[in-house]
Amino acid sequence: MRTITIDPITRLEGHGKISIFLDNRGDVENAYLQIPELRGFERFAQGRRAEDMPQITSRICGVCPVAHHFAATKALDAAFNVDPPSAAKKLRELMYMGYYIYDHILHFYYLGGPDFVVGPDAPPAKRNVIGVIEKAGVEIGKEVIKHRAYGQKITAILGGKATHPVCGLPGGVSKGLNKDEVNDIKKMVGSCIEFAKFSLKLLDDIVLKNKNYLDIILSDPYQLGTYNMGLVDKNNKVNFYDGKIRVTDQKGKEKIKFDVKDYYKNIAEHVEEWTYIKFPYLKAVGWKGLKDGKDSGIYRVGPLGRLNAADGMTTPLANKEYNRMFETLGGKAINSTLAFHWARLIELLYATERAKELINDSEITSNNIRNPVGEPGEGMGVTEAARGTLIHHYKLDKNGLIDKANLIVATTNNAGAINMSIREAAKGLIKKGNVDNATLNMVEMAFRAYDPCFACATHTLPGGMPLEVKIYDHKKKLYKTLKQNI
Amino acid sequence: MKTIVIGVGNPILQDDGVGIHVANQLRQHVNHPDVTFDEALTGGMNLLDLILGYDKAILIDAINIKNAKNGDVKRLLLSDFPSLHSNNPHDVSFLEALKLAESLGEKRIPNEIVIIGIVLKEIPYVFGDQLSSKIAAAVPKAVKLTISELEKNMNKSIWRNKKLT
Repeated sequence: MRTITIDPITRLEGHGKISIFLDNRGDVENAYLQIPELRGFERFAQGRRAEDMPQITSRICGVCPVAHHFAATKALDAAFNVDPPSAAKKLRELMYMGYYIYDHILHFYYLGGPDFVVGPDAPPAKRNVIGVIEKAGVEIGKEVIKHRAYGQKITAILGGKATHPVCGLPGGVSKGLNKDEVNDIKKMVGSCIEFAKFSLKLLDDIVLKNKNYLDIILSDPYQLGTYNMGLVDKNNKVNFYDGKIRVTDQKGKEKIKFDVKDYYKNIAEHVEEWTYIKFPYLKAVGWKGLKDGKDSGIYRVGPLGRLNAADGMTTPLANKEYNRMFETLGGKAINSTLAFHWARLIELLYATERAKELINDSEITSNNIRNPVGEPGEGMGVTEAARGTLIHHYKLDKNGLIDKANLIVATTNNAGAINMSIREAAKGLIKKGNVDNATLNMVEMAFRAYDPCFACATHTLPGGMPLEVKIYDHKKKLYKTLKQNI
Repeated sequence: MKTIVIGVGNPILQDDGVGIHVANQLRQHVNHPDVTFDEALTGGMNLLDLILGYDKAILIDAINIKNAKNGDVKRLLLSDFPSLHSNNPHDVSFLEALKLAESLGEKRIPNEIVIIGIVLKEIPYVFGDQLSSKIAAAVPKAVKLTISELEKNMNKSIWRNKKLT
């Protein structure tokens, strides 16, 4: 048996590793993604002041500090039995839209987009944001930078540094908005709406009008028929900040819908010995191994999971795009992993439109932004991180210190699906032992679509090579080494 | 010379946060109108945003390089790295971010970027806010090296109070 190891994954230095196992004919027998799981959070949190958790947990992940910040804040609302004033909720949600704006822009233009704009088989040295700008032009590059920065500025105006928000408190927020700030945000949001529309047009021109790409998107190696999960409002429309957790099946039909306080009744976690990552699954369906289909409890979260799990968007432009995507790709549910990129841009448009609604809301300058907290108890909070459903759960002692803590992060929710997507892509694309850099990138695309965020915020600067592929012969002797991005 | 000193790292991931620990110590010793301190959790675009507009940037971070052992402290330049990937799939590498800024005609990139690296062979994956003894012992060394880096470019004393011995 020959073994191919991709270690580490491009744009992912560190301990993440894809291993592909070939059979005697050189076809793929199996493939695994092994990723590090940060451990010991419960012990770390124990005995700390509950109201410090929104700050502490925003340090867990350098990628989604705002998502952790508000999942923690909402869990504390519940734990202190307090409902924030409506203005506070709107301020939180507005800040959350800023986070989506910069996060989704970063992924599309810097990480996921290069595969399409520059081409999946382009040399790695070109397949990056620099390559995107060479192809799309310097002016577009400047727009990308500008609007990513706008997202961060909106977040910063509302909550301190974008990378380290400080505004969420149990029962509300610490800071409101003044008129000057409102005007600043209005200008930025208006510009962001246009940029989101432009981004969808770019996707249309470069990807959807290219038959080759559309064929790739719809091709078998990138299909996965799992359940889908996301937060929805009372009309089953997508909501990033609040709502009920809804799960739909492979045909888009509702399977279950529950409040976050019932998450442990609905979700269980399966442990595999080869990885620290736990695989969550739907209790109502059960664990059937790393399989898709209606008999397996694995589900997907993130942009495609959310759009599949909802009935539409609440804002007009995004809803139009939502309908167009489902019409183009054959109705619900969309099972093509690469459609995550399209879904992400529809969400970008929604975030900008929703930000406009919120900043134009007369209540947004209200001073009534915090309600007094009650007695400490137990609480769960949920938000949609850019990459999927994120749950915080705290149990406080009578002094308001953390007694128990549990987190289910987005990439953990996607762990089963990501593994299967890599396996299916490898099986479909690697035949008779033919492996080159372009093929491996096509395998990585299945993984990159999820915008996974593991090894949260570890960042050590290494000098090694980003991608190494080792191929062994059937005696497990090193036979060939392929390197990328050196 | 307008200089920014950035501690890079995750303060709740044990030794990964060593850069923040060093920067916090430096704040206690250094006081100069041209020196700014900050911290960063991630490496790519966010780090780029922080350094724009300064003449010089000093990044203090855990690094993993060959032929070095845990707790070694090194002064490095960007040219010493073939690639500078942050250990984070949702970002570009720092070098890619810099190249991007250059290709867009960004004028505010510092002329000099120096990395004070504390060698860390294994990234911890367990939460905690304390450093291991080996890495903690490297903190004063990194503080000294950063101070000598700062003194190269400053025309008056950078000391807040008494000089380190």
